[in-house]
Amino acid sequence: MASARFETRRLTSDAMFGVCAACAAVIVTLLLLVSGYLVFIGAGAINLSFFTDVPTGDVAQPGGMRHAIEGTLILLALAAAIGVPLGVASGVYLSEYSHEWLFASPMRFIADVLTGVPSIVVGILGYELVVVPVSRWTSNSVSFSGYAGAAALAFIMIPIVARTTEEMLRLVPKTYREGSLALGASKAQTVLRVVLPSAFGSISTGIMLAIARVAGETAPLLFTALGSRLLTRDPSEPFPSLTLQIYTYATGPYPEQKNLAWAGILVLLAILFVVNLLIRVVASRHAATRMGKS
Amino acid sequence: MPASMTHPHSHPQPGSDSRSDARPEARPEVAVRAPSALPRGGPASAYPIIDAIKRGETPTPRIHDSVRAEPVILAVNNFQLWYGQSKALHGITMPVAKGKVTALIGPSGCGKSTLLRSVNRLNDLIEGVRVEGSIDLNGNSVYARGVDVIDLRKRLGMVFQKPNPFPMSIFENVVYALRISGERNKKALADACEKALRQAALWDEVKDRLKASAMGLSGGQQQRLCIARAIVSEPEVLLLDEPCSALDPIATLRIEELIHEISSRYTVLIVTHNMQQAARVSDYTAFMYLGRLVEYGRTADLFQVPQLRETEDYVTGRFG
Ligand SMILES: Nc1ncnc2c1ncn2[C@@H]1O[C@H](COP(=O)(O)OP(=O)(O)O)[C@@H](O)[C@H]1O
Ligand SMILES: [Mg+2]
Repeated sequence: MASARFETRRLTSDAMFGVCAACAAVIVTLLLLVSGYLVFIGAGAINLSFFTDVPTGDVAQPGGMRHAIEGTLILLALAAAIGVPLGVASGVYLSEYSHEWLFASPMRFIADVLTGVPSIVVGILGYELVVVPVSRWTSNSVSFSGYAGAAALAFIMIPIVARTTEEMLRLVPKTYREGSLALGASKAQTVLRVVLPSAFGSISTGIMLAIARVAGETAPLLFTALGSRLLTRDPSEPFPSLTLQIYTYATGPYPEQKNLAWAGILVLLAILFVVNLLIRVVASRHAATRMGKS
Repeated sequence: MPASMTHPHSHPQPGSDSRSDARPEARPEVAVRAPSALPRGGPASAYPIIDAIKRGETPTPRIHDSVRAEPVILAVNNFQLWYGQSKALHGITMPVAKGKVTALIGPSGCGKSTLLRSVNRLNDLIEGVRVEGSIDLNGNSVYARGVDVIDLRKRLGMVFQKPNPFPMSIFENVVYALRISGERNKKALADACEKALRQAALWDEVKDRLKASAMGLSGGQQQRLCIARAIVSEPEVLLLDEPCSALDPIATLRIEELIHEISSRYTVLIVTHNMQQAARVSDYTAFMYLGRLVEYGRTADLFQVPQLRETEDYVTGRFG
């Protein structure tokens, strides 16, 4: 009897394992299919000039995407420079100071809502809040700019970074905080020297996710950075980005440009892959020091 | 309930002078007594004081004269503490002797940690905590208005139940208290680190890997690291809250030896629910029950010739 029950239990366990393994296999297969397809199509259009040339204006010989690759990297760096400090600071506030001050739960709620706002809305917001006022200020007709694009991307990043930072800080054991305070550290010292560093790995993972999320965004840039065919490093001008260029080429009628779009998608994915990998290395190295393996 | 009781290897000789004022330099071996038949005092109940406490009264604690004879470093005076509506400490009055090890014993939940955390005002962090009465550290009020809590905490060291080294290097852990006070001098930091680690009996084990993460140390080493971290700025009182409860017996023994060693330099207030440990490491012992101080005296006296039947039966494991 007991062994029969044991038998059913083993069967259930095996069945559960089977179901989970099958689901995992489906996901992995899908992922491999998609990336395989992308590599298959995109790789054909990738050559050295893709990385070194800028658009020629000739639809049969459209040139490369150097301007867009650089533009995306610069936009991401700018967006992170704005969004990460603001997001981390808000997360620290929510986790460490919120019970002392007001606004915490409205803030948390707003952050959650903002995380779900469609990115096209962010684009329009960027247009209304940055592009239009700046145009008025400089008396330009319309001041589309890299800064406006970065601000829109940062706007998407902030709530994500804030909420992950908050969650990760909450996971830091209370004993660290007490230990630090008991030694006569101020609250700020405790947060900066003990709490934040011990959550560094997981917070940087959150930042990476936020960067990865905005790296693929097109809509917020449509009305802000606008896109450009020129190789520019001046973010006060209309600014190129991979996604905008892919969008332009992919929706256009010319096959050579469509090929470039595929290549662009592949490069975009490669960038995301590298971002993921880099920060994963940082995080795991950090985890290793925390576990004492350094 | 006491975790374990050793068998009494020596019954105290009747009339053996454990109360003599001429104390030997080395701490006397204190054996935890076996239950013995003490003539019962009260007529109705065996534990009139416990009964009174259970009725919500706060009987005057039995504080031995030996305690009062010592120079006081920490004076707790009619101290009361509430967690919201529930009162956790009732009129605690308790002088703590300078340069001695004082143990707080009592059943779990009787307020030992609360009392300890009141000394460095760590209870301030808990919402709804309210206090009355006073605590004085070397004559400075701890709870007076305008006291700089950060300054106060710098004068005290605390070690917690679970080792809590910060996720940083061994070196940075030890010198943390100095760093937050703004010490930048590399030589000064290195010297202080070595000194504290030596005092914590950890130097030889870690001197070659000061840069390695503290998280890689064993539990016992981590706890000794926490002790080093707590004594690096030479606190006036070292507060230990069941520092061995998360450790294995061998690590526990090392910490106890360590407490014994550092007690020549520091005043130590230690919470323990292990009676043998109190007997082994402390000069004075205070027995608490339900937020009240019951009896407080020299450890040898409290374990061998307690004045209250309650204390005797608690330290011998017959109730609690
Ligand atoms: N943060 C807290 N909030 C409310 N009650 C608490 C808190 N901490 C402790 N208490 C209560 O105070 C009493 C004393 O607790 P504590 O000091 O931890 O006892 P001990 O250390 O002697 O085991 C217990 O009844 C406990 O439930
Ligand atoms: Mg406790």
